[in-house]
Amino acid sequence: MKIFITDGTSDGFFTAVFDAYKEDDAVITSQENEQLRFDTEIINVATDSQKAMRVRARLDKADRFATGDIDLVLRSNDSLKEQAAFEYIKLIIKNGRAVRKMLSNPTVIGISEIIGRVTGELHKMKGFMRFMETSSGALYAPYSPDNDITDLIAPHFKARLGAHKFAIHDVKRKKAALCDGKTWFMADVGDADVYLSEYEKVFEDLWKKYYVSVNIKERPHEKQMKGYMPVRYWKFLPEKGILPTDE
Amino acid sequence: MLCGIHDMLDATTLQILTESAKYDVSCSSSGSKRANKAGGLGNASVGGICHSFTLDGRCISLLKILMSNECAYDCEYCPNRRSADVRRAHTTPDEICELTINFYKRNYIEGLFLSSAVFDTPNKTMELLVETVIKLRKQYNFNGYIHLKGIPHADEGLALKAAKYVDRMSYNIELPSEKSLKLLAPQKTKDSLIIPMKKLHTAIIYDRENNVKRGRSLPAGQTTQMIVGASPESDGHILRLTEYLYRHMELKRVYYSSYIPVIESPLLPATPAGLLREHRLYQADWLIRFYGFDVDELCGESENLCTDYDPKCAWALKNMHLFPVEINTAPLEMLLRVPGIGAKSAYKITEARRFCALDFDNLAKMRIVLKRARHFITCKGKFFGAEGNAVRAALLIDEKNRTDGNEQLSLFSDRDNALSALTGEL
Repeated sequence: MKIFITDGTSDGFFTAVFDAYKEDDAVITSQENEQLRFDTEIINVATDSQKAMRVRARLDKADRFATGDIDLVLRSNDSLKEQAAFEYIKLIIKNGRAVRKMLSNPTVIGISEIIGRVTGELHKMKGFMRFMETSSGALYAPYSPDNDITDLIAPHFKARLGAHKFAIHDVKRKKAALCDGKTWFMADVGDADVYLSEYEKVFEDLWKKYYVSVNIKERPHEKQMKGYMPVRYWKFLPEKGILPTDE
Repeated sequence: MLCGIHDMLDATTLQILTESAKYDVSCSSSGSKRANKAGGLGNASVGGICHSFTLDGRCISLLKILMSNECAYDCEYCPNRRSADVRRAHTTPDEICELTINFYKRNYIEGLFLSSAVFDTPNKTMELLVETVIKLRKQYNFNGYIHLKGIPHADEGLALKAAKYVDRMSYNIELPSEKSLKLLAPQKTKDSLIIPMKKLHTAIIYDRENNVKRGRSLPAGQTTQMIVGASPESDGHILRLTEYLYRHMELKRVYYSSYIPVIESPLLPATPAGLLREHRLYQADWLIRFYGFDVDELCGESENLCTDYDPKCAWALKNMHLFPVEINTAPLEMLLRVPGIGAKSAYKITEARRFCALDFDNLAKMRIVLKRARHFITCKGKFFGAEGNAVRAALLIDEKNRTDGNEQLSLFSDRDNALSALTGEL
């Protein structure tokens, strides 16, 4: 068995697909601590944008939505995402765009579940993102999504916030979408020093008051609440202070 | 840009006006794709977005608040009725606007759900509500979602004016018959609710047929709410009204609110209606809207829905001669009628079977829940369900496990519906 280890970039992955395509027993991963079998051969993939481009072009020809699918898969935190994407690509090259309707095929089911988790989180974060107003009037939202979605979510907030300056900060991946009120771009951001507006606490407190007041005590259903709003997302919610703390 | 905020609502007022508004079930922010404008704040997301969930498991999508809870009316079931001993408060258009803007830009909410008790006269109340939403749109340049409650007996011109600025409006029917309205909410009449709803419907049709783009009336349509169990109407009666509202008035949603006795009154029952009844009504509502069922198939006019099984199961048990159906050949309309198979599962099956014949193992891998469905389907001719009366027994046990174990029912216990609930579509 040959294991192709990539640098974790999209170009790296597509290069690995190029190199591994003809092998019968190849695995692609970006995880260096992959469990090794005694007969395993490790190949460190040298990222080559030319090779990557050729694979993308071939894939585009087979199904014009496939590179978009793969882009979503590679954003996932699933440790087997590269292998799942590789199997999916092989299937599409073989069968063309009909593949996306083969809903009982295990590879297709696997891919759609990974994509579902990425787009699902993207949707949830449109709701659970919380901005704070800084003393300069800019809006700052730290968060820590499971998947790498910051550049996908930025356009949603750009459209809403209009001329407001804002930053959406993925504190886990140390990167942020920054918007000056006109255009936005991605940047590497480690720690951010944030000075809050004098009104920030007032509105945060009003929000907490609202959160408590709108609840119907006669109909408690904490299990459902946690199902819809998983505990791991609470960290950045101002209302977390009044949520149950037993976890 | 830092400028003083002069019109700040205080925490106590917010608490009173929210607690008074919270029994309105609707929280959806879906159905509108309003765009932002230059220099403006906000837009609407067509699928709706949930921003938080409260401990009762409900989604917070909108800032749900009353302009005032000082009511001139004395509706028996209402916690804000004139004779009730509750704290009273009112707010101003600017305070509402300021709070909406500041909550919205922090991404706490998707928009505003504004309602009010009837202070002074219906017209004065509605005028202030309309003034508020117009101010929010024009002066505060807010383009997020707005849901406005209609005030019964107010001039319909006001409602039609508001419709040009807001995404959705609702007149709450509350009690499902004229007789119960007379008894429990004498100031509301059927006409004071139905006539403005019809006028708004006409405006929606006009704008659609004339392809009106700017200031289209109610892009997210109308909804209503009925209290279940405060008055004696049967489920069959309620669902016939529901079906009429969907098919003839194009309502987007009918909400049901299971009656909770918060007030002691000789005219009202002392016991709550129970969540199971509300749950069954929502299930039947779904079948009418998305699964091609007519109300006559589900429930007789004077009957209640069966509590032992969900309404689709109950229908299937009465129509066992139509089952089992073969998964690989049954038309979509029939797949939709199989208990346990939802709209998304039915779609998945019709796509997948074009490429290869499906067996039970395939269905399981596709995450199609077979617990109930297996009694009603065959895969490649094979049947794994129970026979005869054993079906009833198996379904009964399954349903008991679903509804008993939990202290409470989840309205959206099916995978399909859970997803819609999450996206705020509901």
